[in-house]
Amino acid sequence: MRPEIKEYPYDRLMQGLLTVAKNFTHGTEKEAELAYRYIPSYRGVLKTVLDAGEAGRILFELLDEYYANIIHARERGKKVCGTTFCYCPAILYAMDIVPATFEVLTGFGCLGWKRGMFDYMDYCCEVGMPETSCSSQRGFLGAFLAGLCADIDFLICDSPGVCDTNATAYAFASAYLNKPFYQLNYPSSIGDDRSQKYHIDDYKGMIRFIEAQSGKKLDYDRLAEILREVDYQDRLTADLEDMLMLVPSPLSSVHNLMIYAGRFCASGHKLYTRLLEAIVKDVKQKAEAGLSGLKSGKERLRAFTCYIDHYTADLNFWNYLEEKGIGHIGCILSRNFRDNNRYVQEVPKSAYGIDFSTPDTLLDSMAQLNARMPMVRSIRGPYDMPGMWLEESLAIARLYQADCIIYNGTPGCRNTWGMLKPFARDLERQGFPVHIMNDDAFDDRVESWEAAKDRLDEFFKVRGLL
Amino acid sequence: METFLDAATKIQCRSVLDWKKSGKPIVGYTCSYTPPEIFYAAGILPVRMRGIETEGTDIADAYFGSFICSFPKSLLQLAGKKTYSFLDGAVITPGCDSMRRLDECWRTAGKDHEGIVPGFFYYFDVPHKSEAHGFRWFVDELKMLIHAVEKHFGVRITDEGLKNAIRKFNAGRRMLQEIEAMRSQKEVVVSGTEVFAAVIAGAILPRDEYTRHLERWLAELKRRKKSLSKGKIRLMLTGSASDEIHLFQLLEENTGAILVAENLCFGIRSEGNEIEEKGDPVEALAEHYLAQSTCPRMYGRFGERLSYIKDKVKQARVDGVVMQNIRFCDLHAAENALYERHLEPLGVPCLRLEREYGPMVDAGRMKLRLNAFLERIKKADRIIADENESERVDDLPDRKPLEAAR
Repeated sequence: MRPEIKEYPYDRLMQGLLTVAKNFTHGTEKEAELAYRYIPSYRGVLKTVLDAGEAGRILFELLDEYYANIIHARERGKKVCGTTFCYCPAILYAMDIVPATFEVLTGFGCLGWKRGMFDYMDYCCEVGMPETSCSSQRGFLGAFLAGLCADIDFLICDSPGVCDTNATAYAFASAYLNKPFYQLNYPSSIGDDRSQKYHIDDYKGMIRFIEAQSGKKLDYDRLAEILREVDYQDRLTADLEDMLMLVPSPLSSVHNLMIYAGRFCASGHKLYTRLLEAIVKDVKQKAEAGLSGLKSGKERLRAFTCYIDHYTADLNFWNYLEEKGIGHIGCILSRNFRDNNRYVQEVPKSAYGIDFSTPDTLLDSMAQLNARMPMVRSIRGPYDMPGMWLEESLAIARLYQADCIIYNGTPGCRNTWGMLKPFARDLERQGFPVHIMNDDAFDDRVESWEAAKDRLDEFFKVRGLL
Repeated sequence: METFLDAATKIQCRSVLDWKKSGKPIVGYTCSYTPPEIFYAAGILPVRMRGIETEGTDIADAYFGSFICSFPKSLLQLAGKKTYSFLDGAVITPGCDSMRRLDECWRTAGKDHEGIVPGFFYYFDVPHKSEAHGFRWFVDELKMLIHAVEKHFGVRITDEGLKNAIRKFNAGRRMLQEIEAMRSQKEVVVSGTEVFAAVIAGAILPRDEYTRHLERWLAELKRRKKSLSKGKIRLMLTGSASDEIHLFQLLEENTGAILVAENLCFGIRSEGNEIEEKGDPVEALAEHYLAQSTCPRMYGRFGERLSYIKDKVKQARVDGVVMQNIRFCDLHAAENALYERHLEPLGVPCLRLEREYGPMVDAGRMKLRLNAFLERIKKADRIIADENESERVDDLPDRKPLEAAR
């Protein structure tokens, strides 16, 4: 890593950026316009998010607090858990632990900095991780391994059995820094009694691990309180899912990003509730007026990104969708698989519910919720098994009236690259044009955004979609 | 040795073809977590699937994506070419992200290439942990596999049959342990290539035939007097799954090195320990194949794996560790770096090599790097010898770091 990069702590840099973003709207419109001139490579992110109104401002507030919690955890007497996007942080909030979700922390660095997270990603390779490992963890992990972030006390991941590259990043960090580590492991099936029981047994093991690390027992009253918040958030999300089915969709493309980024950081947290309430309010008004959420006001096409989105430099991908009049109907990260969503009816035995009756049912609910997090729910088994990726993708594409399906990931996503061609072939046979992006969602060096955009243009043209 | 070499270098080796001619079924499996004892007990020949003899991956590339390890691609390529047409069944295990997708890719390829998917095609779900619930899950998986084999092949697998299979396989394991002990001697009479061929053959040949050959070979080894290790650098090979005898030959032939230990999926590590012959045989299999596993897919057990390597280094007087990984195998690539970080300060030189699986297209590059590595060890040995006026430092904790030699 270049010495000058090592001069600055990454987390504090990011928090500084987010504090400015959060306060950006405090000035006059004229002041904001003037300020935009001085942030040419961050303008796209800031403008797009803040143009979403109150929700945009709350998102920055949420992220600012998220970073602050990590940075100041020690002085506040709290422990920090390094974890992954497919792990629900609500349990950590219930146990008074601060979550640090690597992929989110990488993602916002990629979006906000012209140079992206390249230096930090490469630092992971300097200390031994292969460059074929997933960039989504390597960004923040590099900064962490280089000592440029507040310390983390222990690590939890839930990707073994689903994504080796994800799990390897956490296992590597644990061995490299000698940090305690717990892996939640998922079987290849879901919905059957056997796998449901496995989820619970494994989750209970994890609770014992966290209790040992924090020195505090799980407070079930606090868990109930957090789950009530999750329950309300799930209802708000289900409302948004219903509105996303409308044609045109009243959601803007960036709303999708806000919904899942907020959930990965702050599920069960009041700030996330405020974020969702603001999105619902905005979207409801558009839905009642029959308006599209796109800036152009005209939805020409509806695209379903069946895996993840594209997070490099300046929200380019999202702004591209807006410019082209393409409605974003979500990706694998968007769906929570709560039993109050319409789409879960199309995928039998896929959903979780929340049962407040007893401490045991609370914990069971949390375990089943976690097992339905993105990726760990639907990529765990062969893609064409009941309830897995194909069934989920087809159900969503049909229900939300997608005109096409786009795959985007990273070269580290071997769990999907291993089956992507047969999967895409099956989707095509069901009538959905499929585009496979060969880039890295977090690293523009693999394929520049300009090249990725050209290929998207070509896809829409050749398939007669635009 | 001729039978072992035949089995280790040919997919359709003599013994497999003979078995096929007898009309009895053969089942292929992809991972060391699948107990061959189950198939033995059913009168079925279990054959560990290998990717040798692959000349390209044009068929496999049509199904697997770009960023996938070339080992499962080679298996699919061979299936597509009908090299595995002798299989009556296949068991696919989620050993890693790449390997587990062989399930979908093979089935899809079967829609385009008629007759390449065996009649019995089974997904065997192995957990990533061996704590109580993981162990129970694995025991259930074994029972379901047994039931599926019984149903498909119309056979009966009894506890007694399983116990008998365990006893038969243990007999071979004991002999392999004896051979492994020979490799730890100061003067080694057997090459790494020979031992590897013998271990690979154990995963291919009918077990009774294998045991007979192993007995004879062990007796012959005991008669050998000529040291193959004199003046040679003693290497250990670790890393990604490898069944390529050519890799061993590359490391041993005309290099001044001898392989005295491995930590490989196809190697002795899967055969090393005996299975409990008393009690419930299914639980005994689970204990061996899951709980004692040293594969990096079992996350959070890095310490155990490091200890295993350290013990091997000490036991077999290893001078240097060659750590290879197949490109896109993050499991081994990441752990290799961690091993290096722990072993180098202890004075154990390490070489990390990334490579492609298959027809050794990068043999020249690997040879060049190996030679440089061996030179480094020789130079370091000379420095240590000069400083200590002794020939070799055998005790690992007392080893001197080789910083001076770099």
